[in-house]
This record gives sequence, structure tokens and C-alpha cells, in this order.
Amino acid sequence: MTMNFYKATLLKGFVMSNLLAFLMVGLIKYSILPNNGELVFSIFVIVPMLMGMISAWFWIKVDLKSKAFIGYSILNGLVAILLSYLFLGEGVICLLIVSPLIFAFIIMGAFLGRSMFRKNNQRLNVSVFSLLFVVFVVDSLSEHNYVNLVADEMVIKATPEQIWKNVVAFDKIEKKDDYWLFQIGMPSPAQTTVEGYYKGAGRKCIFSNGYIFDEKIVTYEPNKDLTFDIIGQPLDPEIMGHIDILRGQFLLKDNGNGTTTLIGNSWYRLHVFPIWYYDIWAKSITRNVHLRVMEHIKVLSEKG
Amino acid sequence: MKKDKVFSFVVRYLSFLKHIPLFPQVFDSLLKIRVFLRKPYLLDWFDEIEAEVLRWEGTDVGLHQYGGIQFNHRGKEIGHLHSNGLLDVLYTKEMKGLLLKEGRIQPHHVFEKSGWISFYILTQEDKNYAKELLKMAYDKVGMKFPTRKPCTAQSVSP
Repeated sequence: MTMNFYKATLLKGFVMSNLLAFLMVGLIKYSILPNNGELVFSIFVIVPMLMGMISAWFWIKVDLKSKAFIGYSILNGLVAILLSYLFLGEGVICLLIVSPLIFAFIIMGAFLGRSMFRKNNQRLNVSVFSLLFVVFVVDSLSEHNYVNLVADEMVIKATPEQIWKNVVAFDKIEKKDDYWLFQIGMPSPAQTTVEGYYKGAGRKCIFSNGYIFDEKIVTYEPNKDLTFDIIGQPLDPEIMGHIDILRGQFLLKDNGNGTTTLIGNSWYRLHVFPIWYYDIWAKSITRNVHLRVMEHIKVLSEKG
Repeated sequence: MKKDKVFSFVVRYLSFLKHIPLFPQVFDSLLKIRVFLRKPYLLDWFDEIEAEVLRWEGTDVGLHQYGGIQFNHRGKEIGHLHSNGLLDVLYTKEMKGLLLKEGRIQPHHVFEKSGWISFYILTQEDKNYAKELLKMAYDKVGMKFPTRKPCTAQSVSP
């Protein structure tokens, strides 16, 4: 085996697998498939698996060791992520979040492919590829709709009356971010302004990078319930087409002992699948947005 | 024998996830990434063990249903190697008892009372012992009776 053959075979594995991935993702994102622009489970599971299998088809010809198989698969995943950044306009933090899924499924596909192609059983190969293709088509054509609620609560040593004014609007949060995603650049909530203290008033949630969520108060019960719908989201590649924040709510419950339980609720719709993976992130991020705001409200309210 | 705490936690508390299609394989891929980053030499040893088993007549390898490489002899599983270096091998309970007395292996990390044993490959010496363990299981399936020579568990007998 010459060095040129080795290099050419490796390269074919990278090029063909990424080409296939781009065709499949393009088919879902830009075709007439009625999936409403959702980034379906197939994009993050079936596509990387097939990428791994396609690369394995080439790489077993040069008899790669497991170590090299894993190393080149990780490199293949990095190429795919870089191409997604360049051509699909995905945000850096989104790509960071998606990367464990991509790497795990590419490596899984590569070893599955290596095991399959070594057996040289054409019936098995055709069956596996056909099955993956069927899953891809069915998933792409299926309706995806996932709405969830994240709820957090905190006890504040103040009365509902003392807390209420800080719930409706508050000045800039000066505290340093302590959530790792905020620390590496994900915008964190910084300030909230309000047009007026009544139902129907506009409210703005301003984030650390200047992005603004436009909100409208739909329930205004002083010292008890502030509920607002999100009517405008910033056009940020980290959010666009991935998650819609639908509604937010603060509930205050007087504990009768000079303390109040503040409950923060947020409803969101996810446009990225599989849910079992992305909802972990969505919950974690929403929870940390809640906690940052609620801790700020607590500090302001307890100051008196 | 030093345990892999992450692996043990997942197996003990999250084992219900194995019923989700592909979850064990995804978890095994993550173990591969970890080994690749932290102890890449283990991957060469796994290849060496696989190549050694494949030299024995009637053997083949495949992917284990719960992740890792599965070693078969005449279509029957003799053992499997998880990607963190945990080798599980099947013996008769008698053989398992004798091997346990040698002190290098442990009862299986899940099925403690079965004939399965577990052994972590951490050193070059472990790698060689892993090959011996698999050879014993291979001989047991192939000849019905174990014929390990030389054998530290010398009293192993039918």
C-alpha cells in the first residue's frame, strides 16, 4: 500500500461522508419536505451515523487501527461542524452543544460500519442502509411539536409587596455570570424594563449582548401573578430556528412568616430533536436564566 | 481492581436506558472518546486482543448489544470487551470460583451470581491476562472442558 493510496483513501472517507451529510441536511432544510424547518432527530443521529459508516467503507481498505479510526472520526466530525458554521450559519455555542452528539454518532457509525463491512455480507449492508434511509424519510416527514415548561422557586425574606416592584422591572444585574455557558459567551439576562404597570403593557428583557426579548403582560395581579407572552425574539443564530420562548411567569406566594416564595415559570417550544438530548440543554439554560433573574430580585427585595 | 466510576454509575443507576435503541452504543462511543483522549494505548491493546482471538479457529467478533466488541466461538459468545477496558467473560461457576481465588478477576459487574466475570485492563500485564481469560473461555466452549496450560488456576477440571 503506497502512501498516496493511503492518503487518497482517507480523503475519500472525509469528502464522501461530508458530501452525503450536506445532501441529506440540504434535503431537509431546503426541500419541499413539510417539516416546518425543524432540525429533526435524523440530522443529528442518522446523518452522523451514516457519515461514520461511509467513512468506514473507505477506511477499512487501509486497515486503520481503532485509535486512528477514532481520531479520524473526530476530525471528520470537526469538518462537518466547521462546514455547518460556514454554510448553515449555525452559532458557535449551538455547535458546541451539538458536538458531543455528532462525535458520538460518527464514531458509533464508523465502528458499526467497520464491523459490517468486514463481514462482507451484502444483504446485511443493504438492510442496514435501507433501514436508516427509511427512518430518515419517516422522521423528516413526521410532525414534530414539543413544548415544555421549566419551573423554579426561591424563598425570599421579604413580603410580596416588597418583591413585586422588582419582579415587574429591574435595573442592570451587576453580578458576574456563574453558569459556564454564560461565561463562554452565551448572552445572560441583564435588565428588564416596562412601559407601565398594567395588563397589556410592553416589557423588554435585555440580554448581556444587547439582544432584546419583546414581551407583553397578559396577567397583572399585583403581589401575586405577572405573566407575559414573548412577542418578539432576537434574530440570533444561537436561537433562531432552535427554540422559541413562548411565555414567562412570576408567581408570589406569601408564606405568612415574613418570607415569600417566588416561582419563575417559562414555556418554550423546541425546534431541534432528539428531545432527550436537546431538552437537557434547554432546561439547563432556562433554569440558569431564571436563577440569575430570581437571585437578583432576591438581593434587591431583601435590601428593602 | 480499580473501577471506572462513571461506567459503574451508569450501569448501576441508569441501566434502564439500555432499552433505548442505540443508547448503549452511544455510551460506548463516548467511552471510546474518553479512552482516546486519556489512555490511547488501550485502544492498541484492544486491537491486539481482538487480533489474537481472531487467530483462534472458529472465532469471530462483532458489536456487543450493550456496546463494545463481542467475541464469539462457533457462534456462541465467550466474552465482550467494553470500550473502557472492562472485559466480561463467561465461564462455568466452578471455573469462576477458581479464578476468583487467584484474586485478579471479580464477579461480573452486574450479574454477580452468574458464571460471568469482569476484569479491567489497565496494564500490559492485564492485557496478557485478558487474552488468557478469553482463551480459557474459548477452550471451554470448543472442547467442553477447560484445557488451559500453563494454568495458575491449576485445579480447574471438568
